[in-house]
Amino acid sequence: MKYQSSLPEHNDNVSHQHPVREFALLMLGVIGFILLSFWILGFFVDLAVDSISPKDEAELFAEIDIDWDFGEKSSIQKQTRVQQILDALRLCHDIPFATPVTVVESKDINAMALPGGRIVVFSGLLDSIKSSNGLAFVLAHELGHFKNRDHLRSIGRGIVLAALSTLLTGANSSISQMLTSTMTLGQAKYSQSRESKADETALQILNCHYGHVGGATELFEALQEQEGAWNFGMLHYFDTHPELQNRINAIYHLSKERDYQVGKTQSLDNSVSF
Amino acid sequence: MENLAIVAVFIALGYFFGRMAESRHYQSIHEREQAFLHLPTTSSKKPLGHIGPITQARLVQGNVVISVDYFKRFLATLRNIFGGTIQAYETLLDRARREAVLRLKESCPDADQIINLRLETSSISKGDTERIGSVEVLAYGTAIYSQQNTSQAAPQ
Repeated sequence: MKYQSSLPEHNDNVSHQHPVREFALLMLGVIGFILLSFWILGFFVDLAVDSISPKDEAELFAEIDIDWDFGEKSSIQKQTRVQQILDALRLCHDIPFATPVTVVESKDINAMALPGGRIVVFSGLLDSIKSSNGLAFVLAHELGHFKNRDHLRSIGRGIVLAALSTLLTGANSSISQMLTSTMTLGQAKYSQSRESKADETALQILNCHYGHVGGATELFEALQEQEGAWNFGMLHYFDTHPELQNRINAIYHLSKERDYQVGKTQSLDNSVSF
Repeated sequence: MENLAIVAVFIALGYFFGRMAESRHYQSIHEREQAFLHLPTTSSKKPLGHIGPITQARLVQGNVVISVDYFKRFLATLRNIFGGTIQAYETLLDRARREAVLRLKESCPDADQIINLRLETSSISKGDTERIGSVEVLAYGTAIYSQQNTSQAAPQ
């Protein structure tokens, strides 16, 4: 036998499929699977939330002492004033647990409802709202989240999200990071519908307390002014809150439908100086 | 959102630079394989054909370590979910094997034949899921020199 030196014509040891094609196929599969299971599990979270009574919820969170650290707390006067406005709304809603307020020094114009009934208000919000009606609407919006059990829904979904991505790929892997982001996008759409619902509840509480809904859109208008030129239509898909103008329109629409009047607002500064 | 952007940038960088490095490496492999066609390399225990009295035989080896890029690793992790051939790593190992054999040949350009060729593969950072993995391939064999070639075969 004579040795003939030559090179093979084809490399049979590697696949010749384009890697980007494989990447796209696998990615689509994973994202499709995740979104589907997230949607289905979200449905079960809603079922579970509906079966937890507010009493059970209060008991559940009374035992858990979560140390939320959002920054430096504002002065007692601010806390007390905001708490007063919130407590005044008590007659207009039926949330069966206490809702203490914490005002935190921060430039953020935001407020949030935490599990266990606490409402956190960032001081930037107090600076951009001029009337107590405007502030009452924001607080009522957070009460709306409690009423609609959105804090429980978002915790439930958060757990599902973390569990799914960790189960699939292990914590902290680049894929689980990617999946978490994808799911957050999916959740944004869901959150938008919850925000609209909370707005609806807030409007109801506002009308019940003041007898009119003046000041309801104050915060959104202030935010809109601030946003100004940076209003790119597409980015709003990623927001968890519906586009500001949409929210303002929805509030007008709802007020008209329910025959709410728009009255004069009371200035915040007149009541107590912050 | 930021996470998504960061991962996407890493994947794009990994893909771009990984492809570039790979096509360059393959080009170099093809050229060098062509250049070393005259040196038969087999896994056989005995020399091929009749080469006359053997004057010298020595152990030669070639060794290479190649790293996975971010894109390949991401693709492989995705593959882990569904199963199937991990095509992303095929070119990586193919390149590593051929490069190791080429380095082995380049270490003894004057040999008549290389027999008893063996390849060993090992993965560096084995089991460490946090780090980008890399693969090591070691090729070793026996370079034999025959009498016809003695003048060139002096050990270096």
